[in-house]
Amino acid sequence: MKAANMQNDEQLMLEFQGGSREAFEELFSRYRNPIYGFFRRRLNHAARAEELAQETFVVIIRGAERYEPKATFRTYVFAIALKQLWSERRKEMREARTAAEPFEEGRNADPANGLWIRSALSRMDPDQREVLMLREYEQLSYEEIAEVLGVPLNTVRSRLFRARAELRTLLDEQSIKGVSR
Amino acid sequence: MNQEHPLLQEELMGYADGQLQDGHAEQIAAHMESCSECAKAVADARRLSMLMATWQIEQAPKQLTESVLAAFDTRPHRRNSGSEFGGWTRGRVLAWGFGGAFAVLILFVVAVPSLLRSRQATSEYKQLNAQLPASSPSTEMPQSDIKKIVSGEAGQGQGQQGTLGQLSKSTADSPTGPMVIRTAQLTLITKEFDGARARIEAIVRESKGYIDHLTVRSDPGSSKSLSAVLRFPSDTLDARLADLRKLGQPKEETQNSSDITGQYTDLVARLNNARNTEQRLLALLRDRTGNLKDVVAAEGEIARVREEIERMEAERKGFDNKVQYATVQVELMEEYHAQVQPGTPGAGTRIHNAAVEGYEGASETILGIALWGLTYGPALIVWLVVLSSLGFLAWKLYRRVHS
Repeated sequence: MKAANMQNDEQLMLEFQGGSREAFEELFSRYRNPIYGFFRRRLNHAARAEELAQETFVVIIRGAERYEPKATFRTYVFAIALKQLWSERRKEMREARTAAEPFEEGRNADPANGLWIRSALSRMDPDQREVLMLREYEQLSYEEIAEVLGVPLNTVRSRLFRARAELRTLLDEQSIKGVSR
Repeated sequence: MNQEHPLLQEELMGYADGQLQDGHAEQIAAHMESCSECAKAVADARRLSMLMATWQIEQAPKQLTESVLAAFDTRPHRRNSGSEFGGWTRGRVLAWGFGGAFAVLILFVVAVPSLLRSRQATSEYKQLNAQLPASSPSTEMPQSDIKKIVSGEAGQGQGQQGTLGQLSKSTADSPTGPMVIRTAQLTLITKEFDGARARIEAIVRESKGYIDHLTVRSDPGSSKSLSAVLRFPSDTLDARLADLRKLGQPKEETQNSSDITGQYTDLVARLNNARNTEQRLLALLRDRTGNLKDVVAAEGEIARVREEIERMEAERKGFDNKVQYATVQVELMEEYHAQVQPGTPGAGTRIHNAAVEGYEGASETILGIALWGLTYGPALIVWLVVLSSLGFLAWKLYRRVHS
């Protein structure tokens, strides 16, 4: 067996299917921070982000036997994470929690520490924002985004284009407000 | 895209994201060298990405690693009991639950009107039966008499055109008792085939039935047989079967009954509905003047309803016929006695026949050999020459070696 850190994700997942703890640990070390970051950027509460990241890995562990390397492992992982997120959002809507409106703490923020971006993102159209965040923070390719969201590739392109235009506009507005204040 | 900028904004975005094919990316890179506007668009996109990258997230907490690895170690037994129902996720349970409820709803919506229609027809039929004794001398009123009352032909029906007449319009064809189709199959072996056949025809005639189909087979050297489909009035079926059994020894007998009351009642209800629809359409056409398009549409609808009425009436008559006349399929076979075949040829004739057949056989054999020789002879000669030459050479060689 090759050293785990030399193998690609799909090979590691297949070894993990065969029961290799080493393969799983390597996969986990590669995706621990991206998955945590995925939830942390989309939810207000760090504890909840940690719980959902844990649940995502638990789903991967339980579903390992059913995994088939039809798509990239990245797509597989983020598709599971996205489902967890949507499930969480539905639960929040039912319980009318304030977290349904994420990024709130970013308003009136300073451009230096990213809060400026959070504030602008919070006011974007949710579909466009999701595509933009998957591209910029999760670094998914256009094809991977299309697969994860289950939308055509051209839809991803057009949403991403519109998302960037909208974000620019929102950042410009914030900039003007900041100057006038 | 225009003459100066032959690229779409989305293509530039794809280039900035590194999401284009190599050839296409090179093409855009070449274009940007001479186009400051496109180069600025790409630079803007990259600047925006860098700006977004300023939002950094802290490292995942250590507890996450511990809890996930613990989940890995306990994976065969670990279950999140709050989110699963015996292996089914909550989402799947909800999806199947809603799906099932929707299917039941659809079934309910489809089935209820049909059930209500049947029940309506049945209740009208019961109502009519309840009223008949008061308006007719007999409780077992024949169907034809009901029709007479409805149409006003019967003398005593003249004054009862009110409620009963109205009811009868919608239930005139309703059955007055159970509608049962009876069928029977009978296989008999008889010694007197011709007599039995004549008797079958007499039984049919006497019972006012009819022969639907009859086939007689009579081959030399074998027994005669008869296959017939007979129709008798249903109420005389048992007596007629008893008569038929006397024609020979019964080998096999089967009887079947099929109750079609519900089917018939439903058909009558649909027929009455169609008739009412036709009347309404005719009244509409008669009383209202519309434009040509509406008139044509109404006439088309009347023609469709009329066709439907005629089809249902034919179906109803078919039911009536099957109920009124029971069907009996009779298979009659003659008891077989082997007989010496007449006309066996004499010994002289048989010798002559054998001599002729022998001569013909010999001729055919000679002709066959000649044809075979002509077909394969030339090829055989060639092979013979080749092989004999080779053999001769081999023999010469052998002799030379050994001498």
